[in-house]
Amino acid sequence: MTLMTEPAEPASTTTAAAAPAAAAAGPFALEARDVSKHFDGVHALRGAQLAVRPGEIHALLGENGAGKSTLIKVVTGVYAPDGGTLVRDGEEVQFTGVRAANRAGVVALYQELSIIPSISVAENVLLGEQMPSRGGIVSWRSMRQRARVHLERLNQRIPLGMLAGELSPVQQTMVSVARALATDAKVLILDEPTASLTDTEIRELFVVLRSLRDEGVAIVYVSHRLEEVFELCDRLTIMRNGSHITTRDVSASTIDEVISTMVGRDPGSLYPDRGTATEQVTISVSDLQGRRVKDVSFSARAGEVLGIGGLAGSGRSELLRILAGAQKQTSGTITVAGTTVSMRAAVPQMLEAGVALVPEERRSQGVVLGATIRDNIALANIPTVSSAGVVSGARISTIVERGMRDLQIKAHSPRQPVGELSGGNQQKVVLAKMLARRPKVLLMDEPTRGIDVGTKAEIYRLIRQLAAGGTTVIAVSSELPELIGMSDRVLIMHEGRVSGEVDAADADEEVLLSYCYGKADVR
Amino acid sequence: MTATPTRNPGIEDTSAGVLAVPRRSLGQRALSGGTVLALVALVLFFFAMRPDVFLTFTNVRNILYQVSILAIIAVAQTVVMVVGDFDLSVAATSSLSGSVAGALLTAGQSVTVAVLAAVAVGLAIGLVNGLLVAYLNLSAFVATLASMTSIVGAAYLVTQGTTLFNFPAGFTQLGQGRLLNIPMPVYLAVLIALVAWAVLRFTTIGRSWYAIGGNVEVARLSGISVRRSRLLAFTVAGLVAGIGGILLAARLGSSSAVQGSDNLMFSVAAVFLGMTVIRSGAANLGGTVIGVAIIGVMSNGLNILGVNSYVQQVVTGIIIIAAVTLSSLKTRSR
Repeated sequence: MTLMTEPAEPASTTTAAAAPAAAAAGPFALEARDVSKHFDGVHALRGAQLAVRPGEIHALLGENGAGKSTLIKVVTGVYAPDGGTLVRDGEEVQFTGVRAANRAGVVALYQELSIIPSISVAENVLLGEQMPSRGGIVSWRSMRQRARVHLERLNQRIPLGMLAGELSPVQQTMVSVARALATDAKVLILDEPTASLTDTEIRELFVVLRSLRDEGVAIVYVSHRLEEVFELCDRLTIMRNGSHITTRDVSASTIDEVISTMVGRDPGSLYPDRGTATEQVTISVSDLQGRRVKDVSFSARAGEVLGIGGLAGSGRSELLRILAGAQKQTSGTITVAGTTVSMRAAVPQMLEAGVALVPEERRSQGVVLGATIRDNIALANIPTVSSAGVVSGARISTIVERGMRDLQIKAHSPRQPVGELSGGNQQKVVLAKMLARRPKVLLMDEPTRGIDVGTKAEIYRLIRQLAAGGTTVIAVSSELPELIGMSDRVLIMHEGRVSGEVDAADADEEVLLSYCYGKADVR
Repeated sequence: MTATPTRNPGIEDTSAGVLAVPRRSLGQRALSGGTVLALVALVLFFFAMRPDVFLTFTNVRNILYQVSILAIIAVAQTVVMVVGDFDLSVAATSSLSGSVAGALLTAGQSVTVAVLAAVAVGLAIGLVNGLLVAYLNLSAFVATLASMTSIVGAAYLVTQGTTLFNFPAGFTQLGQGRLLNIPMPVYLAVLIALVAWAVLRFTTIGRSWYAIGGNVEVARLSGISVRRSRLLAFTVAGLVAGIGGILLAARLGSSSAVQGSDNLMFSVAAVFLGMTVIRSGAANLGGTVIGVAIIGVMSNGLNILGVNSYVQQVVTGIIIIAAVTLSSLKTRSR
């Protein structure tokens, strides 16, 4: 896979032609001009612009909170804008709701809201349009026929009577794309469509998106994965703080440049410098066994950041869960700070021993979304803020204030529900909650998933600070650059076993990847 | 930072184009068939215990007669639970409808007037529940718990706290009359269940209900009018519950403010049992019918064996717990 990310010379940017498919200038398929929107006096959008041509894939970029989602909701009729105009095919339009936007050919597919798992594939495909019916009676036969046509346009053969929830993630995405096509979408907006797809599935999706582009569909592509943007998209628009910053050809941009524009400052190095670990071993594991984990032995020292990689299903997350007491250990020993922990230790005992886990699924495992920051932090610290079973409000305030200050959590107040915070700040709440227990070993599963670039750097810095303070951080990541960048040492797992160990300072992605696939040392 | 190609070692590769049809283990199959097996097992058990009585025509007719009103209330509950809500007021609504019919009959009104008024009462209550839940955004639990309280009070007012009786034969025939030696309520229950099944399966509103129950946000963003659909679901439930109440009053030949109140818990139980029958785990009419049958067979069988009715109630609770545990095992193993 090669990428055209380097313009020959900065000066040549003006001469770089638009990508071929997007060359057809003329009226834009969809234009948002100078759109503004505020909620409770806070500007979510101010001077936002987006202009998408028919037959191009247009990336919409920005950090979390930059206003991308709000802009999408405005152009799809979810929100009515406070100011500015929407223009569809040269005509000014006002969408009274999602349905009106759909009728005008503007459809958005949301990452978490793509399908209804408990109904059939055919119904999911036809969800957005009138079901084929006569006098309120659905015709299942013409429903299947029509759904089949839409799926065939995407080269998909998916059993139409199957429950959509039983499909693979890429098939679910295809079903939602087919649904958009069923409503005759001319402008298709995809929000992080590849978040749960494998490499091969991403290829498959890209093939489909390119063929839709060639048919003249305007595609808006929202993603945090810039590598994908550079591979797939023709032009890009960058937003920051609710405003339009720039729109240009992808071929005239570089990833570094895009990142610094998104962040609004030079991100510097994403990863802080490595530290020096002490000689003191905080956790050691020998012959550990459990579901998906086989004979794992390793040890880690105070001040060390140990990265764990491997394919999904390699047992990396399960290893963390066993260490945290969240999953059963069937044999082997775990020793924390010199003391061997009981085989049957569950989460409370492991926390007591000094091992805390920041889980992978933040929204479902890390925070209680509807509860306040204060309550979320207090949740993991009930033993330390209470005496004789009575919780002390003052002690909670102390740890909450300290956590919010140390981690620079951006919120109106500790009483703000966590669900209102950005992904990065939610992750900081999870960290604050666990750090208040003063763990000797902090386990983190995908510490930066769903977090924007600017906040990622902050999380890496926090990890390094913790290590400098003597904590051992063990972090699982599926992104190799991250694994190498944030760690001191990297273990790679394959089918439950440790297949390789590398010093991060001289690690190389090729080598790590070969360990991921269980190949012996290639050097 | 350099532009390295995206690699996602984090996610397993699957070969493109190969359709991943999930295989179901034997255990999962057994679980989803478990509720049906439980019904068969109950029937066989009672048949083995009392072969002379249990599967005779008279007794089977008895079971059908006994569960017919519950089946109608359970249909109402199914509709609401398909949408992802539930309705605690169904049994109370049926009592009030029956009471209104009874009060009008004892006041000398015609059967037609009494029946129409009782149906209207059910419809109106369903409409109010629907407005509270769909338009005022109250949780279904709070809204229907509150409306249940008021409805029970209204039923006491209508009956003046007594039991009304001495209804004209034209009315009691609805509940006690027989056609081909089968009681009328059985026909009506079958008819209502069939209509509801067809509505859920074959109509646009039925499919919208399933879509909303599956994922309300997707449904909303796909342009389904969620509010109107939920309103309609509660309205239908109220209407059906009202019809159930009329038949109950006709069958008993009397109306009181609390008659049929058992049907609330039993209807929820039947729908829960039914949800274990199908793969999607959604409320469904076929499953509800199986649920009703389990409850009916058990209560009849235990009666025949001479087990007292308090024990029956204890056993029913245990069966519900078992069913819900089974279905949670099923979703967990997904």
